[in-house]
Amino acid sequence: MTLKSDWEIVGAPVDPDSTDRLFFTAHEWATVEAATARIMPTDQDAGAREAKVVVFIDRYLSGIDYVYAAADGSGFLKITGKYADAWRARMNEMQNVYRHGLAQLDALAEAEGGKRFAELSDEGADRVLELLSGAPKPGHVTLGTKEPVTTFLQGSFDEGLDFFSAICLHTRQGFYCDPVYGGNKDQMGWKFIGFPGPKSLKDTMDGTYSTAEYFYQGDFDWEDLIPQLRAYRQAGGTL
Amino acid sequence: MLNRKKPEIVDAIVVGLGANGGTAVKVLAEAGLKVVGFDRGPWLRPLEHYSGDELKFVNRDYMWPDPKMFPRTVRYDENAVAERFPFSPLPQMVGGGTNHWAGWVPRPRESDFMMRSLHGDIEGASLADWPFRYEHLEPYLTKVEWAFGVSGIAGADKYEPHRSKGYPSPPLRPTQYGKRFYDACNKMGINAFPIPHAMVTNKHNGRDPFNQTSFWNQYGDPSGARSNTLTSFIPEAVATGNLEVRAECFVQSVKLGRDGKATGVIYIDPDGNEVEQDARVVILTLGAIESARLMLMSKSPRFPDGLANGSGLVGKNATFHEYLFAVGLFDKDIDEPLNGFAGNYISGGSLEFYETDESRGHIGGSIISASQTCHPINWVFPGRPTWGEALKDADRNYYNYAMKIGLILHDLPVESNRVDLDPTVKDAFGLPVARITHSPHRNDIAMGKWQVDKNVEILEAAGARKTVPVYLDKMTGNTCHQHGTARMGADPAKSVLNEWGQAHEVDNLFVLDGSGFPTATGVNPTLTMMANAWRCSEYIAEVYSKGREERLVLSNSMR
Repeated sequence: MTLKSDWEIVGAPVDPDSTDRLFFTAHEWATVEAATARIMPTDQDAGAREAKVVVFIDRYLSGIDYVYAAADGSGFLKITGKYADAWRARMNEMQNVYRHGLAQLDALAEAEGGKRFAELSDEGADRVLELLSGAPKPGHVTLGTKEPVTTFLQGSFDEGLDFFSAICLHTRQGFYCDPVYGGNKDQMGWKFIGFPGPKSLKDTMDGTYSTAEYFYQGDFDWEDLIPQLRAYRQAGGTL
Repeated sequence: MLNRKKPEIVDAIVVGLGANGGTAVKVLAEAGLKVVGFDRGPWLRPLEHYSGDELKFVNRDYMWPDPKMFPRTVRYDENAVAERFPFSPLPQMVGGGTNHWAGWVPRPRESDFMMRSLHGDIEGASLADWPFRYEHLEPYLTKVEWAFGVSGIAGADKYEPHRSKGYPSPPLRPTQYGKRFYDACNKMGINAFPIPHAMVTNKHNGRDPFNQTSFWNQYGDPSGARSNTLTSFIPEAVATGNLEVRAECFVQSVKLGRDGKATGVIYIDPDGNEVEQDARVVILTLGAIESARLMLMSKSPRFPDGLANGSGLVGKNATFHEYLFAVGLFDKDIDEPLNGFAGNYISGGSLEFYETDESRGHIGGSIISASQTCHPINWVFPGRPTWGEALKDADRNYYNYAMKIGLILHDLPVESNRVDLDPTVKDAFGLPVARITHSPHRNDIAMGKWQVDKNVEILEAAGARKTVPVYLDKMTGNTCHQHGTARMGADPAKSVLNEWGQAHEVDNLFVLDGSGFPTATGVNPTLTMMANAWRCSEYIAEVYSKGREERLVLSNSMR
């Protein structure tokens, strides 16, 4: 059995401009493209459509060949053994979530306006997404408020998510992931929010990529920042 | 399954090669004991396997336990059926949690060792003193800080107890949000300083770090900056010739002999063979959840309720901390950018609110720290709109204009908060998984509320124009800190282990992770755990293995 530490690197980085479909039908592809474009819309800046989020999601759902990029981004890891069994089972579930979810989008769209989802206007598509999510479209963030929440989990894994939650998460992933996965074409997601990401994953492995300039750049003295430290040293502290 | 030929007996088996197992194998192998170390996860090579890939490390569980292979379950009510949830999912791999951690390594305080003496009976809690005191641990805290690599500034923490030596490495310069934190704290009279950090910023012990990528918390580090047992203690132990690492090998039970001693372990090798390994000493360092699970799975006629569990306490009194925080948003049209992606997670923190002040309405207190808001997919903004123009505007306007001040909740031990075996859910090997049953003590809720509100005040002093406080609702295990499931203590009726981490009932079984912590301490526990693992491993090598026994008796003045 090939150990996890020896997983082979196979394949190549995903081409974001590829029109080959590995999982979706042509109609599903169009529907995902339309839905993700409402989740991360295009305005004066690029959105999910330009960043090729649909390519990202199609590759992910195609099986277990696009789960983990090789550390240097040269291809993808070939998952083996019980890990492969677990991923295949999980992918099978997620494929079903999408197949049913996309059909449901069309069913809701047809009930609302007699068209399939991908043919709706932006407003119509948003109405259907509200119906699907069971909640109004999110309102804009406003300053000058305090809005408490309870319990926050940072890294979201997608196992067990419903279709709406999954496609929202996958849209964010496809918009902001390393481009090796097929989304975030030309790093347009990163550029849009001002994240100076690495040119390639390899650059994060050898010291080439640095964020040093994004730390505090002014002159500073620890004894000014920490009055206690000055007191400690003045009292003879030498450790 | 084939039964492979049984390997030779060794001096010691260490199960779980994380922070504590890594420390144990170093101390034992360097003392000349022949050791086999097991880990169920892989033995990765950081230079080859780690890079700044958010999707892989934060979203797709490359280092975390696969939830289908190694599920856990949790319930918040004694009568509920536990549901699958990745509670406290430490990386299960060589190096364990020191692979992904931010690496806060503050020292514990004297009060942490004597919560029972200080506070007496607290209704609904099961406070207990430790069987040793800060002063017994201090030399080992120093050893870990120097051998493992910690950056910090001695004398900067106003409330730190005695330390015998400074730090081997200086801290990094503050981040933008770190500088804001220092300024706000100084305005409010709060002692802010660089929380000691398990990283080196200079050449130290053959390390020459180059990581300024800011891919830090939850990522593997290829650079040697982060202190990780995978790249330090474990290779040092291997270099002695006395340690054999068996990775991707799953230990499923500890064997018990007729004389009541542990004889070794049974494990499944990577090809699926069931293999027995015998040893003179068995050391568990799987983390407080999995060590308890392995003890509970190791049933025998002598211990029908689990190994060394005559007291019935294995799995009970579990404490987990919880990471709570408040986020502040700033106005990009007016304020300077905060670049929340930059840094090595924490930048400036304080223990100003750590010790008990009854006027706050709770006992104990929390360490706090300003920290990264992280990378674009998962950036930390609770309440971030989920879709539409609002999502796009929120990311565009606030990604670089947010800061966070977090806290580690010092939760009180409660006997019914526990780990046991799930009656129905099995892992990929067909064995029952750990089930968590938890309900916060009211002191936990009160402490979380008080400190989160204080963090909001600091954010406001820093100039935040909107705040999002995150209060405690229920434990999610989001710190991956685990303690208490096999308490250390003097009385075998009230504890599982003695002051050396040695099982009262099985004298060659040691549990050297957070399981032994009678109370959680309010600081991030890894430094305390590693120092204790070092101290107890030294006892095993220098005293126990030489057929001797020593007792550590606390003088009256220490009680």
